[in-house]
Amino acid sequence: MNHARITIRYSLFMSFLVLFLLYLTSFSAPYKPATHTVEISQMKFKPAALDVKKGDKVVFINKDIVFHDVTETSGKSWKSPALAPGKSWSMVVTQNQSYYCSIHPVMKGSITVK
Amino acid sequence: MKRIRSFTACAIGLLFSLTVLHSPVAGQNNPKLSDAEVAHTAVTANQIDIDYAKIAKERSKNTEVLKFAETMTNDHKAVIEQAVALVTKLGVTPQDNAVSKNLLADAEKTSKMLRTKSGKTFDKAYIDNEVAYHKAVIASVEGLLIPESENAELKAFLQNVVPALKAHLEHAQMVQKQLSGK
Ligand SMILES: [Cu+2]
Repeated sequence: MNHARITIRYSLFMSFLVLFLLYLTSFSAPYKPATHTVEISQMKFKPAALDVKKGDKVVFINKDIVFHDVTETSGKSWKSPALAPGKSWSMVVTQNQSYYCSIHPVMKGSITVK
Repeated sequence: MKRIRSFTACAIGLLFSLTVLHSPVAGQNNPKLSDAEVAHTAVTANQIDIDYAKIAKERSKNTEVLKFAETMTNDHKAVIEQAVALVTKLGVTPQDNAVSKNLLADAEKTSKMLRTKSGKTFDKAYIDNEVAYHKAVIASVEGLLIPESENAELKAFLQNVVPALKAHLEHAQMVQKQLSGK
C-alpha cells in the first residue's frame, strides 16, 4: 500500500522533472555554433559561397600546391596570414563577409549569415 | 612600339607553333618527349617566369606589377620544388630537349627586350608578356606535356598545375586592364 503510493509520487515527480527540463532546453538553450570548412584547392575557394548561422566557425584549409590567404574584400577589416599548403586558419562569423586571396586576386568567396 | 608589336607577334608565334604543332591534327609532327624530357620542359617553363619576375622586381615601381611578380616568383618556385620532388621519387633525371631549348632561346630574346625598357613602358611590356607567356605555357602543358607524359603521377601533377597557370593568366589580364586604364 505505502509502497505503491511512493512509486506513484516518484513517477509523478520524475514526469515533472522531465517536463521542466524540456521546458528549460526549449527556451534557454543557446544555439550551439557549428563549424564549416572551406577548402582551398585548384585555385578556388570551395564552396565559394557559404551560408552560416551567426557565431559559426569557418575553417579555411589550403589543400593547394601554392600559398594562399583569406582577405576581407576591402582589405581593411581582417586578413589571414599566408597559408602554406596543408595549413588552415579559422574565424568566427557574425556578419556577412566577402573575401578574396590577396596573393591571387582572381580567387573570390563570400559568407552569408542566415 | 614596333618592338612590342614584333615581340607580341613572336609570342603569338610561339603559342601558335606550340598549339598547332602539337594538336591532334598534326599528330605525326608531335615531338616525342620522354618523361625525363617532359619534366625538364616543365621546370624550364617555370624557371623562365621566375626570371621575368626578377627583371620586374628590378625595374618596376608599380605596386600591382610588383605584387604580381612576387606571386609568380613564389608560385613557380613551389611548382618547381614539387616537380623536382616528384621526379626524384620516380627516379627520373630531367633531360634537356628541343622544346626546352626553344623556350629558353625565346625567353632570352624577351628578357633582353624587357631590360631595354623602364617606367610605364616596362610595366606594360612585362605584363603583356606575362599574358602571352601564360597563354603559351597553358597551351603547351595541355597540348604537349600532359599527353606526352606516360607516368600517371607526372600526368596528374601537370594537370594540377594548370589551374594555377590559368589563375596567373587572369591575374595578369587584370593588371593589364589596370595599367591601360591609367
Ligand atoms: Cu605564373
